[in-house]
Amino acid sequence: MFETISNFIAAFLTLSIFSFLYKDNPFYKFAEALLVGVSMGYAIPLVYESVFIPYVYTPIFLSHKFIIIIPALLGSLYIFRFSKNLGWLSRYPIVFGMSIIGMSIPMSINSYVLVQMRSAMLPIDGINSALIFIGTVTILLYFFFSKAHKGIYGKVTNVGIWFMMIGFGASFGYTVMARVSLLIGRIQFLLGDWLGLVK
Amino acid sequence: MNQNVINFFNKIQNIDRRYIYIVVALSIIIPLLIPFNSPTYVTKPTADIYKKVDSFAFDENKAVLLSFTHDASTMPELFPMEVAVLRHCFERNIKVFTICWLPAAAPLVDYALNTAKEDYDVQSGVDYCNFGFKPWAIQLPIMLGMGDDIAKAVETDSQGRKVENLEIMKNIKNYDDMNLVIDFAGSSSAISWITYARARFGANIAAGVTAVMVADNYPYLQTGQLMGMFRGLKGAAEYEKLVDVFAAYESEDYPNGRPYSNEIIKETNVPITGDTIPYKYKKARIGMNAQSVAHIMMIFFILLGNIGYFITRNKG
Repeated sequence: MFETISNFIAAFLTLSIFSFLYKDNPFYKFAEALLVGVSMGYAIPLVYESVFIPYVYTPIFLSHKFIIIIPALLGSLYIFRFSKNLGWLSRYPIVFGMSIIGMSIPMSINSYVLVQMRSAMLPIDGINSALIFIGTVTILLYFFFSKAHKGIYGKVTNVGIWFMMIGFGASFGYTVMARVSLLIGRIQFLLGDWLGLVK
Repeated sequence: MNQNVINFFNKIQNIDRRYIYIVVALSIIIPLLIPFNSPTYVTKPTADIYKKVDSFAFDENKAVLLSFTHDASTMPELFPMEVAVLRHCFERNIKVFTICWLPAAAPLVDYALNTAKEDYDVQSGVDYCNFGFKPWAIQLPIMLGMGDDIAKAVETDSQGRKVENLEIMKNIKNYDDMNLVIDFAGSSSAISWITYARARFGANIAAGVTAVMVADNYPYLQTGQLMGMFRGLKGAAEYEKLVDVFAAYESEDYPNGRPYSNEIIKETNVPITGDTIPYKYKKARIGMNAQSVAHIMMIFFILLGNIGYFITRNKG
């Protein structure tokens, strides 16, 4: 019984959102506002239960690890974002967070830069690696703006543009695929879970 | 050029977009209502994940971690992947852990586990363990901490039990044992795992991403930082097939599934019509039928639109 009611509500909300495809209407606005409200309403108690209780309340009040009071107070300074006069206090937890990012720089350089560079410098042993080589070089040259893109240099950078266009096309194709997949998921729900037409 | 043709293309150029929506909707609804058996070709990035997961089969000293970094908005693509991997683990007696970093992902983990375990005699804390929702803010200490001691880094599971006391933790200490992390996301969040778990501890990382994010993640696949990648609904469909063909295969010679073989996967087509496979285990493959029809429809519209554009432009 519960499943039937929940499926009916989900189907109503799905169709309300789809109704925007015809034109903007109150059903769409209602479903959109409800999504935001429910998301927040769900997240707040979950975060309270999963974050505040195990990481703040339990250590301080039950385990008496009073050192936790310092980061707890630091974190609570975020609330001053809403104050015009005391908003500057919220910068301190942000500064602390930024300092942690420094810790990840060596590992990030490895993942984002060094390994990527190494794989781009491997011997050309096939069509794929040749294409990657040509693409990398021509695109890098395209983004070198200290020389006018004219003559032979301009033709080489044009090859870079072609590589980028193919990349954007592939990316757009994947985007279309993703959006269609989302529609498929919703229609599978409407036809299967709600109407029971597919099993 | 015939005036009727020009008039036709003029009309097409100005057609109300809602007619296109109806045609696209029908191109999806009809294949879902009337499924057909289209071949599913398994690609290397998906097969690599399958082989890695399968290498842990019936090994008490190895485990897989599934990291859920998404909410319900990307569920149609990611959920079939998650169910397929969990099914593989349950079929082949592979220890599996789950963790999520977004509040909205917590019920999705439960949903995936409940969907997959229905058909298996598996127990929480013994065969699988859900670490539950951990806030994004402490992702970094957890990722790094798992490299030393998983039980200390995570502390409690979703049911509030001490992780160190769970039976599943026997012989599982850190990334040396939990040597595969699969991150399911509608973003490039697998990069965090690459940066911290792989760069520092050498953990194997794989990603299950929505199709939108595939292009962003390809550089990491090409460099080997990602050992495999599920690419949208297609990746899910491929893994569903792999599980059917190998992990869920039963015969006298192979009572608990058979090992991966390139030849077998190339030659085998698993029929998705009929009731032999439950719908939940072929959802992505049926979805891919609709995907194919929708893509053909869109290619047709793009060609039609372009032909019309050039004809009407020349005449104009």
